[in-house]
Amino acid sequence: MQPPMGNERPPPPGRPVSAFVPGAAVPPPPFAAGGPFARPPQSGATAPPFGAAPPAAMGGFRGPPPSQGPFGAGPPPQGPFTTSAPPSQGPFASAPPSQGPFASAPPSQGPFATAPPSQSPFTSPPPSQGPFAAGPPPTSPFAATPAPFRPPPLSLAQPQSPTGGALPPPPTYARPPQTQGYYTGAPPANPQFPMSRPAFQQPVQTMPPPPMGPAATFGNQAAYAGPPVGGTLQSLVEDFQSLALSSAPGSLDPGVDVKGLPRPLDGDEEPVKLMEAYPLNCHPRYFRLTTHAIPASQSLVSRWHLPLGAVVHPLAESPDGEEVPVINFGSAGVIRCRRCRTYINPYATFADSGRKWRCNLCTLLNDVPGEYFCALDASGRRYDTDQRPELSKGTVEFVAPTEYMVRPPMPPSYFFLIDVSVSAVRSGLLEVVAKTIKSCLNELPGFPRTQIGFLTFDSTLHFHNFKSSLSQPQMMVVADLDDVFLPLPDDLLVNLVDSRHVVESFLDSLPNMFHDNVNVESALGPALKAAFMVMSQIGGKLLVFQSTLPSLGIGRLRLRGDDVRAYGTDKEHTLRVPEDPFYKQMAAEFTKNQIAVDIFSFSEKYSDIASLGSLAKYTGGQVYHYPSFQAPTHGDKLKLELNRDLTRETAWESVMRIRCGKGVRFTTYHGHFMLRSTDLLALPAVDSDKAFAMQLSLEETLMTTQTVYFQVALLYTSSSGERRIRVHTAAAPVVTDLSEMYRQADTGAIVSLLGRIAVENSLSDKLDSVRQQLQLKLVRSLKEYRNLYVVQHRIGGRLIFPESLRFLPLYILAICKSLALRGGYADVSLDERCAAGFSMMILPVNRLLNFIYPSLYRVDEVLTMEPNKIDASLKRLPLTFQCLDTGGLYLLDDGFTFLVWLGRMLPPELVNNILGLTLAHFPDLSKIQLRECDNELSRNFMKILRTLREKDPSYHQLCRVVRQGEQPREGYLLLSNLVEDQMAGTSSYVDWILQIHRQTQS
Amino acid sequence: MVFVWLTAFFLVVALIVLVIYQLMCLADLEFDYINPFDSSSRINKVVMPEFVLQALLSVLFLLSGHWAMFLLSLPLVYYNYTLYQRRQHLVDVTEIFNQLGREKKRRLFKIVSLIVLLFLSLFWLSGSV
Repeated sequence: MQPPMGNERPPPPGRPVSAFVPGAAVPPPPFAAGGPFARPPQSGATAPPFGAAPPAAMGGFRGPPPSQGPFGAGPPPQGPFTTSAPPSQGPFASAPPSQGPFASAPPSQGPFATAPPSQSPFTSPPPSQGPFAAGPPPTSPFAATPAPFRPPPLSLAQPQSPTGGALPPPPTYARPPQTQGYYTGAPPANPQFPMSRPAFQQPVQTMPPPPMGPAATFGNQAAYAGPPVGGTLQSLVEDFQSLALSSAPGSLDPGVDVKGLPRPLDGDEEPVKLMEAYPLNCHPRYFRLTTHAIPASQSLVSRWHLPLGAVVHPLAESPDGEEVPVINFGSAGVIRCRRCRTYINPYATFADSGRKWRCNLCTLLNDVPGEYFCALDASGRRYDTDQRPELSKGTVEFVAPTEYMVRPPMPPSYFFLIDVSVSAVRSGLLEVVAKTIKSCLNELPGFPRTQIGFLTFDSTLHFHNFKSSLSQPQMMVVADLDDVFLPLPDDLLVNLVDSRHVVESFLDSLPNMFHDNVNVESALGPALKAAFMVMSQIGGKLLVFQSTLPSLGIGRLRLRGDDVRAYGTDKEHTLRVPEDPFYKQMAAEFTKNQIAVDIFSFSEKYSDIASLGSLAKYTGGQVYHYPSFQAPTHGDKLKLELNRDLTRETAWESVMRIRCGKGVRFTTYHGHFMLRSTDLLALPAVDSDKAFAMQLSLEETLMTTQTVYFQVALLYTSSSGERRIRVHTAAAPVVTDLSEMYRQADTGAIVSLLGRIAVENSLSDKLDSVRQQLQLKLVRSLKEYRNLYVVQHRIGGRLIFPESLRFLPLYILAICKSLALRGGYADVSLDERCAAGFSMMILPVNRLLNFIYPSLYRVDEVLTMEPNKIDASLKRLPLTFQCLDTGGLYLLDDGFTFLVWLGRMLPPELVNNILGLTLAHFPDLSKIQLRECDNELSRNFMKILRTLREKDPSYHQLCRVVRQGEQPREGYLLLSNLVEDQMAGTSSYVDWILQIHRQTQS
Repeated sequence: MVFVWLTAFFLVVALIVLVIYQLMCLADLEFDYINPFDSSSRINKVVMPEFVLQALLSVLFLLSGHWAMFLLSLPLVYYNYTLYQRRQHLVDVTEIFNQLGREKKRRLFKIVSLIVLLFLSLFWLSGSV
């Protein structure tokens, strides 16, 4: 919270440097770190005004009021130091306008003005340095030292050594003579800098005055070598990490400490620390930028080789106690900017004693409606700010008045399209589906308005009349597939409450109705058309249960199969794109009429998920794939996932738009939706299991603002029939320094975005080249980073990477080995590959990370523990075969499947207890089902499974058991998921790191 | 002969009009004046007529023995033909925003070559008159 203070305070001469060092060093919240660190010396060194500061800082952040006080007092004494102060303000400019004193930014430049020439470069993007603003000013001290940049070690070595020596693990973490790296990096980026530096010397040289005075030349360094050791040290250490990769020439040992390689065993790391720096931002679970530092210039963007963008999860489930506040503006109407249509948000500022508000995105001054007026306090903050969530919280929901409706809010409606051909009957699918739907009837959202309907099909279409006056549903068969018509004008999609008894009796009889069906054909295309006709008036959700390849009527698909000859050629990708344009056209029609399609596919043979999935892809739907569905084994999975699909809170007929401040623009979007205009995502239905990713581009060559604001707005109809707008607002600083971008990078978001881009590329390119592109991006970014710190290059055989991206190499390796992108023809069946690809396009960050780098637990040791201690003692293990002990029982969880691996030396009693049968008598483990047996071990084991499933309710993990050495199941179930191991044609983690390292050096 | 050039002239003008119409639809889409559904259905409606006219034009040149003009117009016909073969001649409503740039470039290129043809046939027309 001190952040602003940290930098704003007039630092003693040494200060800028110190602020700068931690700034450079501390990973996520540079300011937070800068703050604490900065404080001690400060309070001692500076006067009381600042003592009062810390609490104020927070306010200063959101805006003006408290911070102003101290500053009001501040400036005068600060005289000389203001020099360094103003720029630092940048980051906190989060609420810039409000910052009374600083708003009038000019003063900040004043100091520089002393060195007129220098000013020019900076004035344009004055405090562009943002948080690191610390950056440029400190330069000066160095600049002052004789030969500052080129032969740096000399001048810097001295102060460095103490710190370096003090470092806990000196070898692994190279403590950079940071400053150096910093500067060496910067100049190429921005030619202005070198110019400006000399200019800076003057003002800064005059600075050294009071507290830090002692070591004139090295005062600055002394500053950081000296004071709050703990904080500094840590931050220094974290500045960048490196891996020693030196191997003795000629030796086979790669010289890599395998155990020391970074592994994301704690799963996803949400950048929650940003919330401290930007308390008014929405929670990162809703909106995550790939780097929380927006580059100020195109040249910076081009040097940031990773994708620049965001991952948005608009309806993420919030934990209890953090529900999204709902606001009704009543007669005032929803308050939005006149020009850019931004919704009012905590970063908006008020002016003209509360009669006007300034839009933070486009800086237009808007009128405040009379009903919404509230007076401002001395600092320009509204008195009622704390009572109004829209002015104090990053995530709010507005009730939308009638202007936001093109028609009355639709009722939630569910239409089921069920394939009843012979394979569906034989696999027991009908029974599971009918039972599950029946059990969900009570929980369908939107009671009492919910609409429901069914259509079954094989080679003909069977319509079902659910008129409430009937006691039994009536079935009408339409055999004309070329010209589909509805046999009834209505009563095909009916109100659930009115027709409940008819629907129930239909569901009861459904399995028997088609029990003797031997029809093998499937007329999916005509059935889709019929469903469209039924639903087109209302919209809603269409659930398609398909168990064979569509073979009749329009939209029939060929058994184009998985052609081994196509792999590695230019035609490879055509297997992964829809074959028949019918499906895309249908998808477009569905979206237009607010219909979302969820595909449940059950075929044991090829069923062309690539084509079917495009229905879900463009309608905001989802693809569920159950290869070789058999009710006894897969029944539970289908039941729970269908249940989740039907009962989760769903937002209907929605559109989403992301607005951002001047200078940046979202260009490409990745996920399941349809673009209705360049930046408007049409989402017929969206729920908490879907996330979207998008890429950002700069529109201007040079950003002049210090902060960029983003606002995600999702306009939707809730199940209760209310039109709502969910708004997430976030701010991010603009930086001029590449190393800051790396420091603020968010691996989770980067991996999510990269994964989606890779899956999309695989639709137009060979898998092999998709993987190469991924690798290339990784290499380029690490190379660029290495160049930043090129002076430390003497640590020759090291791979340098920013702390924030320490897991990136492994994750990228994991994406390359993920179900969607791994290997070639024989490794994954085409349908599974496509289904995994569709899943990767919608998974939220944490689930995606768990999918590509599954959790592996050793279970046998914890089974005997007290049930309540089990959770705490489950530890994730690295995904390598070396972790598997032949005497152990392991559990692999990728979010979709549980894989239980039985070691060869595992005591038979243990196995028998858990499986509930004697292993020796049960050779085929693929048919096994785990049930809770009457013994402690089994109860504990099932409890573990339950807890893991509860963590992520969006999918139900199917439990599969495999014995060590059981070929080929062990190979494709487990070994291919051990992403750190070498598999045919892919490298192990160590090889990968070596490879990357070699390429970054070349 | 005059008749041939006159027909060619009108054919080229018609082609230019069709391509400009498609370009306008794309531009409207970009500036959010129409939605992708309308835009793509409007464009797709005129794609086949355009291809047919283009083919007619070439045939006309061929039959009337204007080899140079025929060779000049051939690349466009061939290009249309390959697009048709690959079934990429229609714009895809679901991906239209991702392909906007490419589609526009395609049509601008067509326009340029059509304008060249237009001037040439004007030249021949005036020559033969």
